Amino acid sequence: MMKTKGFKKFIEDFYMVIILLFLYAPIFTMMVLSFNNSKSRTRWGGFTTHWYRQMFDNSAITDALYNTLVIAFLSALLATIIGTVAAMGINQMKKLPKAVVMGVNNIPMLNSEVVTGISLMLVFIAFGITLGFKTILLAHITFNIPYVILNVMPKLKQTDRYAYEAAQDLGATPVKAFFRIVFPDILPGILSGFLMAFTMSLDDFIITHFTRGAGINTLSTLIYSEVRRGIQPSMYALSTVIFVTVLALLLITNFEPENQAGISASKVQETMRKRRRNNNIRKGFLVFSAFTIVASVSFTAYQKYSTTHSDELFVYNWGEYIDDAVIEMFEEETGIHVTYDMFETNEEMYPVIEAGAVRYDVVCPSDYMIQKMVENGLLAEINFENIPNLANIDPLFMEHSRSFDPENRYSVPYTWGTVGILYNTRLVEELGLEPPARWSDLWNPAYEGEILMQDSVRDAFMVALKSLGYSMNTENPDELAQARDLLIAQKPLVQAYVIDQVRDKMIGGEAAIGVIYSGEMLYIQDEVANLGLDYSLEYVIPQEGTNLWFDSWVIPINARNKENAEKWIDFLCRPDIAKMNFDYITYSTPNSAAKAMLDEEIQNNKAVFPDMDKLVNGEVFRYLGDKVDGIYNDMWKEVKSN
Amino acid sequence: MNNPKNKWLAGPYIIWMIGFTVIPLALIVYYGLTDKSGAFTLANVLAIVNAEHAKALFLSLGLSLVSTVICLILAYPLAMILRKKGVGAGSFVVFIFILPMWMNFLLRTLAWQTLLEKNGVINGILAFFHLPGIAIINTPWAIILGMVYNFLPFMILPIYNILMKIDDNIINGAKDLGADNVQTFLHIWLPLSLPGIVSGITMVFVPALTTFVISNLLGGSKILLIGNVIEQEFTKGSNWNLGSGLSLVLMAFILISMALIAKYDSNGEGGVI
Repeated sequence: MMKTKGFKKFIEDFYMVIILLFLYAPIFTMMVLSFNNSKSRTRWGGFTTHWYRQMFDNSAITDALYNTLVIAFLSALLATIIGTVAAMGINQMKKLPKAVVMGVNNIPMLNSEVVTGISLMLVFIAFGITLGFKTILLAHITFNIPYVILNVMPKLKQTDRYAYEAAQDLGATPVKAFFRIVFPDILPGILSGFLMAFTMSLDDFIITHFTRGAGINTLSTLIYSEVRRGIQPSMYALSTVIFVTVLALLLITNFEPENQAGISASKVQETMRKRRRNNNIRKGFLVFSAFTIVASVSFTAYQKYSTTHSDELFVYNWGEYIDDAVIEMFEEETGIHVTYDMFETNEEMYPVIEAGAVRYDVVCPSDYMIQKMVENGLLAEINFENIPNLANIDPLFMEHSRSFDPENRYSVPYTWGTVGILYNTRLVEELGLEPPARWSDLWNPAYEGEILMQDSVRDAFMVALKSLGYSMNTENPDELAQARDLLIAQKPLVQAYVIDQVRDKMIGGEAAIGVIYSGEMLYIQDEVANLGLDYSLEYVIPQEGTNLWFDSWVIPINARNKENAEKWIDFLCRPDIAKMNFDYITYSTPNSAAKAMLDEEIQNNKAVFPDMDKLVNGEVFRYLGDKVDGIYNDMWKEVKSN
Repeated sequence: MNNPKNKWLAGPYIIWMIGFTVIPLALIVYYGLTDKSGAFTLANVLAIVNAEHAKALFLSLGLSLVSTVICLILAYPLAMILRKKGVGAGSFVVFIFILPMWMNFLLRTLAWQTLLEKNGVINGILAFFHLPGIAIINTPWAIILGMVYNFLPFMILPIYNILMKIDDNIINGAKDLGADNVQTFLHIWLPLSLPGIVSGITMVFVPALTTFVISNLLGGSKILLIGNVIEQEFTKGSNWNLGSGLSLVLMAFILISMALIAKYDSNGEGGVI
């Protein structure tokens, strides 16, 4: 009997451990990665504590952490108060109104988060509430209340209503009766509701993304803006710190000395009482420490957001697309306070500018998107007199810019590049293949499961259209249908459709070939050298021609600080600044003065600075109008769902 | 408690709901039932019968159903084991099971990518022991794994909470009256824990049905779920009308599933925790 019991216990513990392993495997992975000297997620580059230092030095991360904690705490607290009060009211309602209220209550939980996020954004704009810290807070309270209500309601039902009435009969005021009788009963529900709301708020990304304003990030939105160009390992460091802190708090508050052997009944009672008291002390300690942290954090955050600056600039740029030191230098030299925000795709940036939800002063979209913004009247003409450093920009690029900004009135080039094929020399050799030279090599069945394609409509269709010999700006339905069929035929060979993860996956040797932006090449070659890999990664611009792209600075029509925006653009065109930026982001610079300052070796690196005259069939994306965009999107959906 | 005045306590929240739940919803309905010029149309809603959309919807339904069942199968025994541990130790252990959710979910999902990849951690360990590697990354299985991973705590919590309420005497009574383990489970455990199971199912099934991040990160974007379609219409395709129309359809599906599940929930509004 004892034996089977022991065995059963073993099975049970084993099962628990297995589930815990499953739940903690990714967290341990993050912890290990936080000590990884390489930025790559898949390669071990030696032990370092560098990322921890970087984390504490990086104000973007500490600010985001503040915001996340403050919003989580405040939204959970307010939701708990509103929700608990509401639950008591709802509990007293008649059947029908109760059903209606509970039905509406469930909506935020049933709706897909994108829809909740966007609809809330629309309502905030309609009510004329500027997006910012408070809109995130309002949104979080909104989706937190239902969780509180659902936690409190069942407890309310279980409470003994006669005890409450009896208390009142014995002379207690309703408030006193509530706090003495009902409150202790429903407290567990309130606490678990609070905890759940806190957790939900902590973890939310999508709703925050749509309801946040300029210059405010939570950890989720900060991480998301980094997904594009690779997560900074300092994020893993931060997660590790959070995890260890929470675990430590948990262990401290739950630690209890065990001495149960051979004690009398009265002693048991005494220990029970003691334990209960200890429990209360522990709980008090937990609440107190949490409160202190949040109070101090709120205070700092309040100070931070309540300080106003006379001279301001709101910048909206791609994630990891500037050297942070450049922003600091700009602030120092001009005395203008910069609020810096990041977006992941052109398409995600567009509605933000169009809706005017956040009024940015200077934005950095790509070619076709600039054309779309020009055509829809979203951009202001730049006063080039304020930008004397424009002389440093190679005139060739102003020439190219005309394909999307016909009279060079709205944009100043920031970076440029090509799209090509990146291949792993060793894997290609092992497959017994020649190095790829054409887009059509991406249809070679020998590459099954070894291809990484770009996960964006226009880039994917560019590859197919170019390999067919058509223009990548075609509006011809037959040509597009052929390209679609080609992409469908390619799908079984494709390992994954990714955007910027191509870089990490290729460095990690996950795939043999992939479609990639030329700007990543310097980083990749450095990283391959640093890691001492036994293969090299080469970049080739396919013979059929490719996409030539430009990211340029533009000023939205509703910008409030246009002159500051021009100062910003001028500053970035200064050769020393452009060079600093290039060294950091490694995307080709159109600044000829900055280029002249680079090492010979880099200047001659054809992956970074290809000879423009040799780019046969190089094309720039054009905005094709909503209708043709719709055709592209529908066809892309067909490819993806096939 | 029977004081009729108490029901006005819900007042502030009802105003809040109108502002931040009902009006936004009305906006979605408006977008869903109009075209770009603002004229009434049903096209956005009917678009669900398009081959791509219908396929994405059924795939989503299938994957979230499988994930929900797996979560239930994993969570129930776990909740029983946790119950046995008693209140103090049990709630500590429960906390250990929720703790992973305090790490950012994007990071956790990306970490799974690192684990599952061809040259990933798991395959590295398997190769060390000369075992064959696994190749589930970028397949529907990886998506199911991601869903189970992310939503399992939502199943564990409500079931654990409802099991904690079951009186030991009822179980012992059943045993004394000669019920074997299977009978006790079918006639005592299961019916009494049903509200917890129902809310667990709701809390896993709904987010799994609407997710798009998991399928992007672990499915290699090769698998299009209905969440992805809606997200892309809003953030990439800039067709908010179609996106809204499709979300209305998705909401209808969720409501129908909830109604089906609610039939088993005698309480009326679920015993969520």
